[in-house]
Formats: sequence, structure tokens, C-alpha cells
Amino acid sequence: MNDRALVGRRVGLLLASLALMVVGTKDIRALRAYRETVVVSEAFTRQAPLSTYFDGIRGTLMDVPVFVFDSGVPGGSVLILGGAHAYEPASPVMAYVVMENITVTQGKVFVIARANMSASTLGMLGNAYPPFFRVKTPWGEKTYRIGDRETNPLEQWPDPFTFVHYPSAQNLAYQDSRNLNRTFPGRPGGNLTERTSFAISELIRREQIDMTIDVHEASMGYPVVSTYVCHQRAEEMCMMAAMILSAEQFPMKTETSPKSLRGLTHREIGDFTESFAVLMETPEPFIDKFVGPMTEALMLTGKDEFMQTAADRGLLYAEYDMKTGATLDYRVGRHLGGAAEVIKQMGEFYPAKKVGVSWPTYAAVMEKGIGAFLHDPAKAAAARVFRH
Amino acid sequence: MSTYAATSWTLAAMVAAFVLSSWRFKSPELSMVVTALVGALVAGLGFPAHLFVEGTFTFLDLAFIFITACIFMNAYSEVGAMNALVRALVVRLHRRKWLLLMVLALLMLIPGALTGAGVVSVLVVGGLVAAVLRLMGLAEDRVAAFVFMLGILSAVAPPINVWAMLMAAGANMPYVGFDLVLLVPVLIIAAFTVLYLGWGAVPQSKEAILAGLPPLSPKMTWWRAAVPLAVLLALALGAKYAAFTLPTIGFPLMFLICAATTVAIDPVRRPVKRWLEVVNQTVEQVFPLVATMVSVGVLVNILAATGVRGLIAISFVALPIIGIYATSLFVCPLAQGSLGFGSAVILGTPLIFVFNAVGANVTVVAAAFSMLFALGDCLPPSRIVGRTAIETVGYKGSYGSFLKATAVPWLVMGIVALAMLIVPGRAAFLVRY
Repeated sequence: MNDRALVGRRVGLLLASLALMVVGTKDIRALRAYRETVVVSEAFTRQAPLSTYFDGIRGTLMDVPVFVFDSGVPGGSVLILGGAHAYEPASPVMAYVVMENITVTQGKVFVIARANMSASTLGMLGNAYPPFFRVKTPWGEKTYRIGDRETNPLEQWPDPFTFVHYPSAQNLAYQDSRNLNRTFPGRPGGNLTERTSFAISELIRREQIDMTIDVHEASMGYPVVSTYVCHQRAEEMCMMAAMILSAEQFPMKTETSPKSLRGLTHREIGDFTESFAVLMETPEPFIDKFVGPMTEALMLTGKDEFMQTAADRGLLYAEYDMKTGATLDYRVGRHLGGAAEVIKQMGEFYPAKKVGVSWPTYAAVMEKGIGAFLHDPAKAAAARVFRH
Repeated sequence: MSTYAATSWTLAAMVAAFVLSSWRFKSPELSMVVTALVGALVAGLGFPAHLFVEGTFTFLDLAFIFITACIFMNAYSEVGAMNALVRALVVRLHRRKWLLLMVLALLMLIPGALTGAGVVSVLVVGGLVAAVLRLMGLAEDRVAAFVFMLGILSAVAPPINVWAMLMAAGANMPYVGFDLVLLVPVLIIAAFTVLYLGWGAVPQSKEAILAGLPPLSPKMTWWRAAVPLAVLLALALGAKYAAFTLPTIGFPLMFLICAATTVAIDPVRRPVKRWLEVVNQTVEQVFPLVATMVSVGVLVNILAATGVRGLIAISFVALPIIGIYATSLFVCPLAQGSLGFGSAVILGTPLIFVFNAVGANVTVVAAAFSMLFALGDCLPPSRIVGRTAIETVGYKGSYGSFLKATAVPWLVMGIVALAMLIVPGRAAFLVRY
């Protein structure tokens, strides 16, 4: 090949690469630009940016809004933390359903729907996640992002070769430096994810939050699936809540936060604040590694043949039947029921911390689907519509 | 069509596409992209441009590490520091062959142990070690095998073992108690590797060796040669032991700082133009490896999207324990060759739970699997450490002949790992918290 032909070939390949980049990044750019809509309930009192509690995240994607629903009646307080892991979509959706339907008769409720907003702006590399999923409602479809487990490298790069957790100095895998649920209680001079954890810890301390509920989804091959993981100060109320849920609504286990496992909300919020720290896990086949094609349908239904094989071989830690799968309705419904019950138990154990709260029940969501509880922003008062 | 049938059909089409395109293009990188394209088409995804583009970024960090580490080492060689170190080792330890080989093995273990990346060991000290091994009479294929084996052992060695960390994170285990249970097998296998590969090697006389080396630059003093390596060691130790004080700069910047330090200690003060040439040559040298990483990233993304990844994973983890024993030595390395550290997440974590269910000591099990995964760093499609090793040492023989030279220590490492997997209780005394 002569020089001219070689140059021509190289220019051609360069142009083809550029064209692929333009076409191929369309979905990637759309995911980063898209904002979800929420129509808050009439119980909404105020919202404040998370940087109100720690200025070190101001102006970043992590400076997410904190929504407050205050009854004005003395009582306890609860923080619902959604979206710490953006690739566990039932978590932010549960927070949105709460925000759209909550009524508060005593105490107050704080909600962060996208605790790691940055993580929700990219797909998980190597996992081929679809960028969005849609929920059917009586008035149309509502679109939500499926993100990554960790903070977007566009916000925080590079990773260290090992992440040293503050303040325990425990070594964790390098990518955990971008994992919001490994960086608590946070470090004011740390990386963006550590600073975000610190901001949330500050919120809990300054607002004297009585109970923090961190909402997650787990792969079904993970022993703590369908489980409350609670700091030892909260273990009795978690045990009681799990017993009642298992008897009346759905199977729920409980586990006390291991003291040697550092950086997680159920350990560090319990140790470094006065709050009762509770983490909830619901079964999510989509994030298991031995499932079939990665599709929006799998995320919404949880129906998968390979998962059934794993269940038949006894490899799963929750009951699974491919005919019913683990639908988004089921997972969100579990979280709604799980949060309501453990809040109720806090009031039983500590009457001064009682929070009078209600939102759609597990049974109602299973009957009508979550779409029935998501409101049309076009028909709502502008003051109640937020994009985020 | 059932998911099993559909994904099996896709897998068959991808295997056929890989074989045919390898034969037609003679390029593993192009073949992987063609295979991904065929997989997407057969699975009914059409041409998912965003998955292709997203896949190219999967190993971006690794590509930066390759490029910057090579810039550093080529700069280090350019100033004559590498030559000075080789000469110093020959002068001091020439008469003590086995001691010299053991020192070289320990030198290889340190960078990877501190960073968790075997490729860093190969890139940073592989060239130096290869030069000395050659002078000590080791055949070329054994030199490449030595650098590769110590490279993968360095990644397994504590304190940083990324596979074990990923499995521990997935299984909600703290990454503690691994130091001895990783270190002892690594030292045993390293000692065997040294003995096996060094056996029968006859060093040339010291005078002949020194005469065969490039002349020592008169201004290249020991401290000039030591400073860049000391800076690298200080940065690595600082990142681990002063993590709350120092900013996170990452490997690429660490290597660029070391390269800048090398330029600063250059006794000859080469012009900027010469350094630009060194950078250009380095990028040319590393380009094939970076191309491999890009292609593997695309292939991995399509394997996940089509469900073929799930098919392979469920076929393995659903085996009875005896089946896992029988196939681990093949499946785990092959998974590493395809998925890199992702192998620990996709196969490793579910297997930890499988072994936990039968009451095995999961710290020993995770350590064993980390060794099995490490073995795959010489296997296609990525062959990361294997390819880096042969390129760093300048091995001219076929890749197959390199694998043949590596086979015995590779198998010994596999057998040690399998033994730990089958009778983890016997190694449990090494788990110290």
C-alpha cells in the first residue's frame, strides 16, 4: 500500500470512528442529560440542597435536593435514603412513590431520592445496562434512569489502587472509593463520594434524625437479600418488624450490621450519629451476574430462565419462581411496606420518636401497580413538580 | 425459543465468527469486534452502537496505566539507569546465582503486591529482570516465563489482591485475614518457579557479561538510578499508608511523575525533541495492547447484552462442587482472559456463596480463586500480562512457545490453588486477623 492510500485509509477509519462516537454516544449523552420528574404530595413542606449541611459538595451533581415533609406535630424524624446505588432502581422509585403520596400526622420525614446522582448518569461498564426504564401509569409512561453502582468517573477520577476507608483505615477494593455505601461516615477533605457521605451524616446530625432507612436491592445469590440490616441499636425494632412482615405480608429477614465491615450506612451512621441505622434489601435478578440478556423487561419483571436454574440448584437466598419473577411493583411494594413497619416499630419502642406516616401499602401496590401512584406532572400545580 | 436455546445459538455463532475472522484477518482485535458484531446481530440487537462505544471505555484506566508505565520505563532506560542497575546486580551477585534469582523474584513481587496489578510489575521491573536473567544464562522463552509468572504472582501477593477484594466486597466480607494465606502460597510457587526456570542455566563469566552490556554512562551514579524508583515506591506507599493526607493521583500520574523525575536526573540533559521521540516510540509500542483492551471491552459488553455471559456463568456455578473442582483450573483462567477482574465479580462472588454453604473457610477459598483467576492473564482474548511480558522482555518466539515454557510453573500454581479449594481447612491456620 502506497503512502497516499495509507493516509486515505487512516482518514477513513478516523471519520468512521468519529461517526460511531456521535451515533453511539447519543444514548449515553441522553442518560446524563435526562431529569426525572416527581410530583410531591400535599404534605410537602420544603426542600433544601444537601450542601446546606456541608458546603464541600456545592455546585456538584451530588448536591441533590432534600425533600422535607413536616407535620408540625412533635414526634420523631426519619430519613429515607434512595439511590445510593443507582443501578438498584426500586430504591429511587420507592422514594418517589413516598414523595408523591406521603401523609404525615406526627413528626417529620426527609427524603433523598437520588443520594448518588452522579452514579445515575452512566451505565455500568461491561454490563450493557439499558439506559432507561419506563413505568406505565394511567396517564402515560414515566421514564427513569438505570445507572451505575459507583460515582461517574466524570465527577471523580482517578481511583486509588486501593481504597482506604476513613476513619477505620480498612482496605477496600479500588472502585469502592466511588461507592457511596462504602464511604460513610464520610470525610470533609476526601473525594467527592466521601464528601457526599459526610454531607448526609451532617444532615442526620444537625436535623437529629431518629431513624435512617437506606434503600437497596440485592442480587438473589447474596445472603442478605430480602433483609433488614440494622445497627445493633436498632436490631430489636428490626427483628419485630421482620417478624410482623413475614407473618402478614412478605418474607423478611433481619441481620445485625457486622462490626468489621466498614463504610456501610448500617454500620457508620449507627456509630457516628445518634440515628437508628437500617438498610433494606429487596430481591433484584437484574443485577445478578448469571442472568440472560440485559433488557428493560428483565429489570421490570425479574423473569429469567437462568435464575430459575440457580433457584433449582439451591444457589439463591430468596424464594424464586420464574412465573412470577420479582417485578418492580413487588420490589417497590416490599420497600414501602418494610419502611412503614420499621418506622412503626420505632414508635412502639420509643413513643417520643413516633412518626405518624402513611403511603401506599405493599398490598395496594401489588394490586394496582406503582403506576397508579405516580402523578401526571402536566396536571399538577407547578409548585409541586420537581425535576431531578 | 427458550433463553437457553437462544443464548446457546448466539454463543455458537460468536465462536464460529471468532474462528473465521481470526483466520481471515490474523488479528485478535479485529476478530473480537467482528465476533461482538455477529453476536449482536444473531441475538436480534441489530447494531447497538452505544454498547460498542460504551465497551471501548471499559478498560480505559488500564490503557492509561500501560501507556504511562511504559513511558516511565522507556525514559528510565534512555538515561542509562536500567543499564546501571543491571551492571550493579551482576557485579554484586554474579557468583551467587540462586540468591540473585531469588532477589530478582522478590523485586518482581513488590510493585504488583503494592498495587494489585501484575502488569505494573512486568512494566516497571520486568525489563531489568529480563536483562539480568538473560546474562545469567536463561533461555529467552524461560526469561519471558519468569517475568510472566512473577508478574501474576505479584498481583496475587498481599497486601493488595484485587480479585480477593472484589470477591470480599461482593460477599460482604471484610478484606482482612488474607495476608498470610496469600503470601505463603505465593512464596512457595515463586521459589518453585525460580528453581524450575533457573535449573541448568549457566551464567557467562562476569567479565564477558559486563563487556556485553552497553558502557556505563560516567555520570550515571547509583543515586540517579535509584531516585525514580524511590519516588515510585514513595508514591505507592504514600497512597496506601497516608491516604488521608495525600491526594489520590492514580497510577497514570504516578508514572508520569516518575518519568519527569527520570528526565530531571538525566546526566546528559537530552533535548525535548529526543524525549518526544521516546514518547512516540512508546505509544507505538503499547498501541497493540491498548487495541486489545478496547476490543475486549466491546466483546464483554456484547456478551452481557446477549445473555451469553449469563449462560457461561450459570453453566459453571450451577455445577455440583465436584464439578467445580474438576473445571476450575480451566474455567477460571478462561474467564479472566475474557473478563479481566470482572471474572471475580461474575464467577468469584457466587462461588464464595456456594463454598460458604458447604462450610468451607471462605477466606481460603477466595485466596484460592484469586490464584486461579490470575492464571488467566496469559490466555485469550486479552492475554494482558502474557503479552506485556513477551513485549517487555523482547521475546521473538511464538506465543505458543512462551506458553509451553510457562506450563509447568503455571500448572503448579493451579494445583496449589486447587488444593486450597478442595481442602481449605488445611490452610485455615494461615488466616490471621
